[in-house]
Amino acid sequence: MSSESQNKGQVELFKHSSDHPIDGMALKKLASAGLKWLKTNQEVVNSLNVFPVPDGDTGTNMVLTMQSAFDEIADSPEENIGKMAQKLSHGALMGARGNSGVILSQILRGFARALDDNETLDIPTLVKGLIEAKETAYKGVVRPVEGTILTVAKDIAIAAEFAQFNTDDPILFLQKIVEAADQSVQKTPDLLPVLKEAGVVDSGGKGLFYLFEGMLKYIKGEPLDTSSTIIQPISALNLENTLESIEPGQDFEVVVDFSPNKKLNLEKFYSDLEQMGTSIQVGEGDGMYRMHIHVPTEKRYEPIDYTMTLGTIKQVHLENLVDQISELQKSRNQEKIVFTPVEPGQIAVIAVSPGKGLTRVFASLGVTAIVAGGQTMNPSTKEIIAAFDNLPANKIIILPNNKNIIMAAEAAKDVTVKTVAVIPSKTVPEGLSAMLRYVPDGDFTTIVKDMNDALDDVETGEITTATRDVEIDGVQVKRGEIIALLNGKLLLSAKSLEDGCLKFLEKAKVEEFELITLFYGENIKKSEANRIVDLIRNKYPNLDIEVQEGGQPHYQFIISLE
Amino acid sequence: MKTAIVTDSTSDIPENIAEKYNISIIPAILVVNGKSYKDGEGITRKQFYEELPHLTIPPTTATPPLNAFQDVYETLLSSGYTNIISVHVAKSLSGIYNTALLAARTFNNKIHVIDSEQISLGLGFQAIIAAEQAIQGIQVNPILDKISTIQSKIRVFAMLDTVDYLRRSGRVSWAKARISSLLRIKPFIELRKGFVYNVGQVRTRRKGIIRLKSMLDKLGAIERLAVLHSNAESDALGFASDLVNTVSSHPIIVNVTTILGTHVGPNGLGFATVLA
Repeated sequence: MSSESQNKGQVELFKHSSDHPIDGMALKKLASAGLKWLKTNQEVVNSLNVFPVPDGDTGTNMVLTMQSAFDEIADSPEENIGKMAQKLSHGALMGARGNSGVILSQILRGFARALDDNETLDIPTLVKGLIEAKETAYKGVVRPVEGTILTVAKDIAIAAEFAQFNTDDPILFLQKIVEAADQSVQKTPDLLPVLKEAGVVDSGGKGLFYLFEGMLKYIKGEPLDTSSTIIQPISALNLENTLESIEPGQDFEVVVDFSPNKKLNLEKFYSDLEQMGTSIQVGEGDGMYRMHIHVPTEKRYEPIDYTMTLGTIKQVHLENLVDQISELQKSRNQEKIVFTPVEPGQIAVIAVSPGKGLTRVFASLGVTAIVAGGQTMNPSTKEIIAAFDNLPANKIIILPNNKNIIMAAEAAKDVTVKTVAVIPSKTVPEGLSAMLRYVPDGDFTTIVKDMNDALDDVETGEITTATRDVEIDGVQVKRGEIIALLNGKLLLSAKSLEDGCLKFLEKAKVEEFELITLFYGENIKKSEANRIVDLIRNKYPNLDIEVQEGGQPHYQFIISLE
Repeated sequence: MKTAIVTDSTSDIPENIAEKYNISIIPAILVVNGKSYKDGEGITRKQFYEELPHLTIPPTTATPPLNAFQDVYETLLSSGYTNIISVHVAKSLSGIYNTALLAARTFNNKIHVIDSEQISLGLGFQAIIAAEQAIQGIQVNPILDKISTIQSKIRVFAMLDTVDYLRRSGRVSWAKARISSLLRIKPFIELRKGFVYNVGQVRTRRKGIIRLKSMLDKLGAIERLAVLHSNAESDALGFASDLVNTVSSHPIIVNVTTILGTHVGPNGLGFATVLA
């Protein structure tokens, strides 16, 4: 394969770095390699979720951020590494999604700043770059928390400072960094108790590790498209979320459960599957394997036939993704939602909304525009900036409505020339509560303060299905069970949706509140939502209870308690 | 020279105060189920608000007939008053002002008809302050100046229990009002220069009352206060008693005119105040 030989060439290039200095083009190749390896391991990073809820998607966010960074330089002939790093940094900032994506963009920004407009990169400059990367990342976070991607960035910088005295060989140097990153990731649970409790390492840190490991693998000439290490427990397979991002040629999703006749050669298994399709994931549990792949229409039976040669098939799941996506889009396009325009001088509000119903509710409260996004689909900084730019208003308030979107909103605020305030709403009910204080003609500072104050007026409940087994906050959870969170903390698990809802309200001491609003998600029917709400009404006849279509994915109910 | 003060029943001036300051009050007309009532006669406010939610046809309001004004003006002028200041509910909300203007024409410039741009005690305070001056023998022009000064110091805010009545009444421009048609909310309204503005919204009564208090606090020093309610007396009394420390005089507490009530619905709570 030609990429193989290129890889070999790169090894030579790095060995004789004095003759072939690391310039802009070399950085491009390294960035590409890091991205590719991160992409290969995207689902591994995604599965490193503290809470067994469908959210976070750190892997996806980091890949999309890095992809945006790379797209910025993909066609650039720039040889000056400083300038190339600047471009990379700009692309990352624009494409930054989720908190991990924003921090990654800060890392690249610090790195680029240290490189200034150096023609080429030597080890001392690289060390300076990694230190500056760490510094910038820490500064970008209001309250830095250890045991996260920040810690990994710090340990990389420390390792780089030491390594420069031990070697002047770029490959060895990079090797040391990757080792340090690996160790740093492994010890994140010691620094952040919540990780230890959930039995995972930090996802963002792991993503950063993959970026560096990808570069190292590339220099060593190792393949980047096959993840040799990933074999996850079946319960960790995060198949629900792959739908959001299908590419052309991925028309069908095939999932096969099988038990192999003899020990499975994973490397071969993966490479055979790669001939058929993409988004490959393999899980294992109790001698059973689950294989997941996206394939074009004409190859939809191939993975099944192939797997049959390896063992006994227990179960096959085949789904037409194109149809599903178009259904999804159809229902999304059905109704036109009218937003209230702002007049010159008025304050506009942008809300991030995870579902059609919620968008309609936000619109009815007078938001000027919506950015689609939520738990499993964090909008990028660029999308948020575009929303700012598209509004005929100079004073804008944004409601991220998700803890993982607040940083991207802040980053967008720093870029735009408009006057923007981020109201750090962590949930949809918080955003709705803030919206109640919105007065378009009001004084900007006053309104921002009022809206901030309103965040404390509600409590948020979330009802969803556990994505894996875990014990956290003292609650035992099995994959597939209903779980309930109160203000982001896991409260309980239950066998059925109605049981989960009723237990949740009990534990949340619902009788102390006045009004309960339930927004039902796209994964349950209106009749089912109404049935459950009737049960709640019967149990709490004195409470004001309202039910609304939310349309959010994955979450059967988002509940506002006030 | 002696000046009389006339207003209409939407001013919500309590009877004892009207008597004390010789304020003449012309009753507005309420039409419920096709039957006309003079405001305050035949149907009590309490009865009205209790029935309001069950009325399939929304009650409407009507302007008192021309002669209702003419009779009052004539009686006053023939009993020794030389001038009359007739101050009325905002003309943007009712036809009363225009009828008064029409009635005044035949009295040779002796009658000064004023658009209060307000309702309830927002109007009532203008009439009361004018009457206080008139009783002291102050001339008509200085009183008119005083009314104009007071108008700029009046603030009227309310939390409505629901948007339904306001929406039905068409008294708010809905294109501009950001009041949710989906979520059950309680809007805050402000009556300013004759127009109803949406100044926020809340979803629970408890928080609404706290917000209403903070709206009052933010206005700074005040001279007069009325707590307005539409059949929410206990909330109004609670609101007033919590304010004892901030307001010097005891506030007037009124179950607001049904003319207003038909637009705002029961269980509303608000205040009218004159800034210091």
